[in-house]
Amino acid sequence: MGRRIEKSLRALFDRGRPHFEDKGRLSRLKPFYEATETFFLHPAIAPKNKPFVRDSLDLKRYMSIVLIALMPPLFFGIHNTGFHARNAAGLSTDFAAVFGEGLLIVLPIIIVSYAVGLFWEGLFAVIRRHPVSEGFLVTGLLFPLTLPPTIPLWQVAAGITFGVVIGKEVFGGTGRNLFNPALTARAFIFFAYPVQMSGDAVWIAVRESVENGINAVSGATPLALAALADPKERIEAVFADNGYAFQTLFFGNHIGSIGETSTLCILAGALLLLVTGIASYRIMAGALIGALAIGAMFNALASPDLPAWFSVNPFYHLVTGGFAFGIVYMATDPVTAPGTDKSKWIYGFLIGAIAVMVRVVNPAFPEGVMLAILFMNIFSPLMEYTETRLRIRRRIPNV
Amino acid sequence: MKTLSVKKGLPIPVAGAPGPGIEKGPDVSSVAFLPEILPAIKPRLLIKEGDPVKIGTPLFKDKNNPALLFLSPGGGTVSDIRYGHRRAISRIVIRTDRTEDHEPFDPVDKERLAAMDRTEVISALMARGLWGFIRNLPYRAIPGPDETPASIWVSLDPSDPFQVPSSVYLEGNESVFAFGIRVLERLGAPVFVCESLGSEASHEAVAPLVTHRVAGAYPAEDPGVVLYHTKTSPRENHAWFIRGQDVLLLGQGLSSGRYPTDRIVSISAPQEGNGASIQTGRYVKTRVGAPLASLASLAGAETAGENRRWIMGGLFRGRAVPKDGYLGLRETSLLIADDAGDPELFGFLRPGLKKPTASRAFLYALHRKPFAPLTDMHGEERACINCGKCQAVCPVDIMVPFAYKSIYAGEIEDALAHGLLDCVVCGLCSFVCPAKIELAETFESTRHAYHQDRI
Repeated sequence: MGRRIEKSLRALFDRGRPHFEDKGRLSRLKPFYEATETFFLHPAIAPKNKPFVRDSLDLKRYMSIVLIALMPPLFFGIHNTGFHARNAAGLSTDFAAVFGEGLLIVLPIIIVSYAVGLFWEGLFAVIRRHPVSEGFLVTGLLFPLTLPPTIPLWQVAAGITFGVVIGKEVFGGTGRNLFNPALTARAFIFFAYPVQMSGDAVWIAVRESVENGINAVSGATPLALAALADPKERIEAVFADNGYAFQTLFFGNHIGSIGETSTLCILAGALLLLVTGIASYRIMAGALIGALAIGAMFNALASPDLPAWFSVNPFYHLVTGGFAFGIVYMATDPVTAPGTDKSKWIYGFLIGAIAVMVRVVNPAFPEGVMLAILFMNIFSPLMEYTETRLRIRRRIPNV
Repeated sequence: MKTLSVKKGLPIPVAGAPGPGIEKGPDVSSVAFLPEILPAIKPRLLIKEGDPVKIGTPLFKDKNNPALLFLSPGGGTVSDIRYGHRRAISRIVIRTDRTEDHEPFDPVDKERLAAMDRTEVISALMARGLWGFIRNLPYRAIPGPDETPASIWVSLDPSDPFQVPSSVYLEGNESVFAFGIRVLERLGAPVFVCESLGSEASHEAVAPLVTHRVAGAYPAEDPGVVLYHTKTSPRENHAWFIRGQDVLLLGQGLSSGRYPTDRIVSISAPQEGNGASIQTGRYVKTRVGAPLASLASLAGAETAGENRRWIMGGLFRGRAVPKDGYLGLRETSLLIADDAGDPELFGFLRPGLKKPTASRAFLYALHRKPFAPLTDMHGEERACINCGKCQAVCPVDIMVPFAYKSIYAGEIEDALAHGLLDCVVCGLCSFVCPAKIELAETFESTRHAYHQDRI
């Protein structure tokens, strides 16, 4: 069966290939043809140079593993979105109905993100005559998962356009970008359209009727509550009063951006990334330590004159907002993180520390993970440079 | 004796290791010399097609160093001189006759050797065609006459799969080996003999000669790696090295008065589907410059069939050779591997229980059983994503992505500071790279260009 499909696919692609070769009518669209062909039929190419054997790991596999690691938060996010939508509308919340509802809300966002992003990715691939990079498949899925479910689709399109073009392609494309493209896209939407990205009215998407499209129902996220909490209150108590006990925050059955709510599902993804060695454990561990250390430091400073966030148990930082999602999937992007081992620890530590610092100290931004990662993206070349210079100095010169 | 352990590198579990015994190779009707594969040598021919030659008759000399001669490995008639890319001489073929006379040389015994000074030893080695077995660091080229190395390294057991281990080639040759070491000692630098820990190298006769024992995965025993991990100052960078089996030829060549042609070669043809345990490999006693087809026939039926790649000199550092090719001067290993086959449906989504990898991204990581090599890129070239897998395996601690990008940007000084000249071209960075970038090739060609500039 598999053999037969393989054979007929190969025949199909062989028939199409001449049109995309150098003299074919569609030669400019070669990147698209190649991307499609190699998606179905993994190429077998003999090495031109030594070594004559190569590792089975390639970027297709590499990025597929990241995509698989995104599946738990994705599926949970779809279910969670559907649940809150039907719950707010007073409809039944049995699994199938909830999941279907979630799909109807989330799938269009993902489709727009992929379609518009792929258009730009492909356009640059055609102009620059390079293959379409697999990294885009990750960007195109990461971005929707960081958005609230009520996001207008045209904003998704605008965001991914900004992320791919300004965040990546103007720097020279994959491997040369300074900022994580998915986060750049989110930052653009966050600052350009704050009304649709923050506040209490964006987190629950209720589809009332086809004519009215998706409406929003009010509901405050844990971070919004925390930012408004009275300094004399304990944040833990505020959370518990509003139905955000630690377990709820950890399991993720609460409102928030589509993919960020369930720390448990994100941990499952993190486990896959670490077991397969695709993401850097140094960055994740560094961020964890950074957040807990700064959280503990703020605990020591806490007083009734300061915001209530100061006194929160630092572990709450790990399960609220987009912290876990950002640390596991965004901070570990190898292109925008430093490529040297010690710098990875420092980079991770500072992301964790700055994220918590923004949350606790700056009342203008209830969430700090996105800003922390983008901020540290800027410093990663400098950290690399410093560490490489220090290590070169330890070498015995050989010139 | 020093013991050192090299942490980086990579164990390469390749199936089909050669069997224990040594077989006698078939008689050959022609032998050849391959000038093309000696980097930095510019040959000037001393014979022409149709000339009669004996074993040991000079075939050509080096234009840059006319004292350096390369001799015929066979006696008979020069039947073919073939040119390759840019008129480089790719092979000089000698059709052997039945008698195969030898050019006579003065035998050198221990007493005479002790009386010779350094220049006399060097000119003797050059005149007798033995100098080509010695290479220099960092360029891995045949040294010039004026070079003065800080040390001379002998590597007993190259760990690139599959080379002939010292336990095989030293058997019965202990005294010749010891004499070869004496010859090296006359070259004015301390001689270090490296043995791999865990190999059964130590023959009692040569055990006292061993100075370094090296533990670690491929390519821990490489002289460049050992030098990198033992050097204490830049003065030690410039060194010479020679492989153990070549020390035998050095000793034989001076002591016997004949140009030595004995070689023990490993041949293996592991194939997918035979199962990992199948013994296809052989050690074969043959001669310098033997035709490959005669050797491959010994590896049996596994060599049949199309889509097989013949690799001479190791999977990681060798060269692809045609089926009508010949053994090069220093080459002692022939590996016949399956060539890349057909594209695979959704290849990147398979669990990959049988997809060899150094990473943990396939289920292969659960067993890491020996695999039959497949000459396949397993993917297409992409931009570097800075994943760092290359620098994690580099045995000489080069920060590979940064060194590579320095070369890419034309900053040679930067690449040198990163340790470009410490690179031993083991090929592990190219092996692990998920973006399929030709890292080792880039380093080697850049270093070669730098070397040519400096000559």
